Amino acid sequence: MRPVAIAAAGKTAFGAFPDRDLRSLAVEACQKCLKNGHVSPSEVQAFHLGNFAGPSFVGQNHLAPYVSTAVGIRDVPATRFEAACASSGSAFFHAFLAVASGVYDCVLVAGVEKMTSQTTARVTEILAGAGDCSGEIKAGSTFPSLFAMIARRHMYQFGTTLEHLAAVAVKNHANGALNPDAHMRKVITMEQALAARPVAEPLHLYDCSLISDGAAAVLLMPLDRARDFTDKPVRILGVAQASDFVALDHKKDITTFPAVRRAAQKAYEMAGASPRDIQFAEVHDCFTIAEIVAIEDLGFVERGAGGPFEASGATARAGEKPINASGGLKSKGHPVGATGVAQLCDIVAQIRCEAGDMQLKRNSLGLAQNLGGSGASCVVSILGNV
Amino acid sequence: MTGTVYTETVVYLAPEAFAADVPYQVVIVTLEDGSRVTGRILGERVAIDDRVEQVELRDGVPFFRRVT
Repeated sequence: MRPVAIAAAGKTAFGAFPDRDLRSLAVEACQKCLKNGHVSPSEVQAFHLGNFAGPSFVGQNHLAPYVSTAVGIRDVPATRFEAACASSGSAFFHAFLAVASGVYDCVLVAGVEKMTSQTTARVTEILAGAGDCSGEIKAGSTFPSLFAMIARRHMYQFGTTLEHLAAVAVKNHANGALNPDAHMRKVITMEQALAARPVAEPLHLYDCSLISDGAAAVLLMPLDRARDFTDKPVRILGVAQASDFVALDHKKDITTFPAVRRAAQKAYEMAGASPRDIQFAEVHDCFTIAEIVAIEDLGFVERGAGGPFEASGATARAGEKPINASGGLKSKGHPVGATGVAQLCDIVAQIRCEAGDMQLKRNSLGLAQNLGGSGASCVVSILGNV
Repeated sequence: MTGTVYTETVVYLAPEAFAADVPYQVVIVTLEDGSRVTGRILGERVAIDDRVEQVELRDGVPFFRRVT
């Protein structure tokens, strides 16, 4: 397998955009990305689109060619990938395989979701489709409630507290305030986080990421070729995807995500890196508890120690292991299908020293962790300076 | 059918189908044979490690009550 690079990246702002439809968001991200790489649509040899629930949110199926043709990409394979919230991470993983193996020299990967044209109740219903509809969802579980049950058990087993959860929210909102593309740029206090209304106990309003619209795109090329298009190619050092049961009640221990551990292990092996080497990461904080479990499963901290680690400031921008300097899903927003590729765009911006107010000093080796549903899919990517 | 509460939550924001029941408690119960099932709670709230017994089955969903 030959070395692969991200040659270009581009994304839309995330937010609630009543005047924007799904296709226009995806097209914007793709066009920004192609422009960033000085690549014309005719050079793209395959198009991978991550999208969770376009058919439910906007009534449109067959989304990949629907988008690619609007970008001016013709004739080539155009495929939609779905792995719940890991949809575009999965699209990226498979694009990597296609380029690394030598089949293609130029693959455009995008992710998009248009969520805000539905009511919150309907969005909750659609999101529940990422759970086990034959069991836990029929019993009345919502997505927040599945992560709430994970949080409850993590608190029971490890003594994780509400303050630990709130610390994640406060940090990510503080980081998001520096992100011009974030859905929510409001700073919140610990008091506000703890006093917010409950969604599913113990998770409150600020423990939950936002319902948003948005799209993101990256362009993959073999490293050698990427150098012809950009003087800042970002090397994909390791990437892996793993799966696990969809239903929480099928898992032995819900305080850890086996799919995260497995994808991380394979990505670290491929990159020849260890958790200690990773300088910064964008992790999947769909809910605050998800970030706490993620940093444990990624090996940044011991099992059960995620809460205190977050509360200590170690994961803040100025800390030893900045997590979600972009603001995370919490404040960027979580247009489900766009998130995986958007995380990669954030890592690329850091490595290229193009992160503006969010710029970190130690930015040579970054990791993105994209989680699907309550842990049934995970893609871990390690990107670095060439 | 009896078991032990493995984890639980109280739902405040639900889709339309369950809106009338809000707030309601969802549980994952570890059954005698070690397997787990997701169900609902009738009556007083339960906590992790409480013993519960199934008192109803509605459309395939087990409803449990705390065993006192």
